[in-house]
Amino acid sequence: MPRSLRLLTACKAGEIAGRVSVALGRGRGETLRGRVILALDPKAIAKLSLNRDVVIVSGTNGKTTATKNLAKILRDFAGEEVSTSESGANMPAGIASVLAQHPRSRYAVIECDEMYLPEMYKKLAPKVIVLLNLSRDQLHRTGEVRKVSNLWNKALTADDVTLVIDRDDPFLEYASTQAGHVIRVSFGGRRHPDAATCPNCAEILDWSKGDYSCTCGLGSQLPDVRADKALDGPGRNTVLVIEAARLMGAEILADDAAELIKASPDRVHAFLISGRSIPTHLAKNPESWRQALGKVQAEQVILSVNARGVDGRDTSWLWDIDYSQLLGKTVVCTGDRRLDVAYRLSVQGISASVAEDFESAVLQHASGPIQAIVSYTAFQDLLATELGFSVGQGKTK
Amino acid sequence: MSLTIVRLYHDLLGTYGDQGNAEILLHRAKGRGIDVNLVEVNPGQVTPRSGDIYLLGGGEDGPQLAALQMLKVDGGLNYAAAGGATVLAVCAGFQVIGESLPDSNGHTISGLGLVDAHTVYNSSPRSVGELVIQPSRGGLPVLTGFENHQGLTRLGSEMPALGVVQSGIGNGFDGVEGAWHGNIFGTYMHGPALARNPELADAVLQCAAGPLREFEDHLANELAMERRNALTGK
Repeated sequence: MPRSLRLLTACKAGEIAGRVSVALGRGRGETLRGRVILALDPKAIAKLSLNRDVVIVSGTNGKTTATKNLAKILRDFAGEEVSTSESGANMPAGIASVLAQHPRSRYAVIECDEMYLPEMYKKLAPKVIVLLNLSRDQLHRTGEVRKVSNLWNKALTADDVTLVIDRDDPFLEYASTQAGHVIRVSFGGRRHPDAATCPNCAEILDWSKGDYSCTCGLGSQLPDVRADKALDGPGRNTVLVIEAARLMGAEILADDAAELIKASPDRVHAFLISGRSIPTHLAKNPESWRQALGKVQAEQVILSVNARGVDGRDTSWLWDIDYSQLLGKTVVCTGDRRLDVAYRLSVQGISASVAEDFESAVLQHASGPIQAIVSYTAFQDLLATELGFSVGQGKTK
Repeated sequence: MSLTIVRLYHDLLGTYGDQGNAEILLHRAKGRGIDVNLVEVNPGQVTPRSGDIYLLGGGEDGPQLAALQMLKVDGGLNYAAAGGATVLAVCAGFQVIGESLPDSNGHTISGLGLVDAHTVYNSSPRSVGELVIQPSRGGLPVLTGFENHQGLTRLGSEMPALGVVQSGIGNGFDGVEGAWHGNIFGTYMHGPALARNPELADAVLQCAAGPLREFEDHLANELAMERRNALTGK
């Protein structure tokens, strides 16, 4: 691969900055490494993806897990390392950093933030883009779900790339209408909770039996692949990923596929707090909360919500969720916005107490299993504490 | 006494959790022993004309115009408001109940005309962030909410605002936020507004139910206080 001196210098400097950051206990150094690379060579992303087989994964929920699964399939298939982020870095600096690791390997599997997809599509020249799902998320930043769909629609107009989408999601269908090649995977059709109106023309969508149509012509298309209707969000994402891998030349055996779909985890991590193991779901928006609540089996629950930058500063979405799953359970709320959560629960007839921090929340519970659902920065804080990092995120209210 | 709360098109105008305002009113009415019921109106259904409180929430541009069109054709909300029903309209809903607003091409179209408010397209960045206002009437304390809107709203000279902006953008004209005239309330505050401002919830309830008896909801008061203090630095 021809590589300019400028790029080599940028990558070397980035590498050093990344190592220093790790040595100082500031985290994984991924973002800092990327920032240095881009500062020294603004074209680094395009250069580092030249002549490689790149796949982009984007969507509201499940990007990181889907990216990991796809990287694993391609790694096993190619028998060599794949450039990919383990930690969910999905903005330009993180992506530059990911590409600079294993720059000579064939595959790069890139998780991409929804708003950066148009820019990254141009720079990365991917062979395949997997669009997992679109629903309400971080409204203070993206404005509206349909805005993201529209942004993608305007960007994805070429025929040098194949899109893999969940055909049942009207926002993804609209995002793909101008694209040359689209593989539509259907999960039997289901009503989208945020799509009362058409993503294209805003007329009321006509929903029947999980399929939709609009007078403007947008509607459920014939699927290229039919998958199991009973799958949950993570399962659906895994099916899309397997389809993307197939397009990249890595077909996996039916048994392995079934295994992968069954195993596809939510973002759940067991944190050890005060000597107790707490299975903790990362949930960031109404759809991921609904999925996490559906998996709560313990009688004791901790909910932690912050409203710092990436969490979305507006907590109104807490009212979009039905919490009846928690009726009769013992709930403790923590995080910067614990009162918002506790009040929302009380209006639904679920009594909850509040705790200053996660550890106090654990101590408020009796012995026996506890399950937790936490927002993004709350999850990051727990992870950082576990890894012994200090976190640079100040509390903002 | 019995109350009917009508939640209008929450599929279209419920993007920012504003449908929660209905649940809060139910909660605070039931807590006082008021017999209260909720009627949901979805697209294609007729709006009842005999409701006591009508609620509209925020929504995206397209659904907002679809909702406006249906409300005009149906006529039920205007009929009820003319008869003295209480209306709380938030964000896109607030724009809808005004005299005029821009359509998707930027042309001015007429709203429902329940308040003398004219919304215009704003070419500067969206107004997004925490909003703090000081009402001047009704014994209301400082109110807080989260705003997220593109349009800005100019009130007619005789139209009273809900409050004076202490921080945030609000209507974007004359340093004021929302509108409150008779039984009609308009605001840009999400949160939902009534979750973060129990006094505002009671002001709305009182318009429909008359004088309210005491109702202690410690958690609601604590949340309102915590938000107020966090945003005013007290």
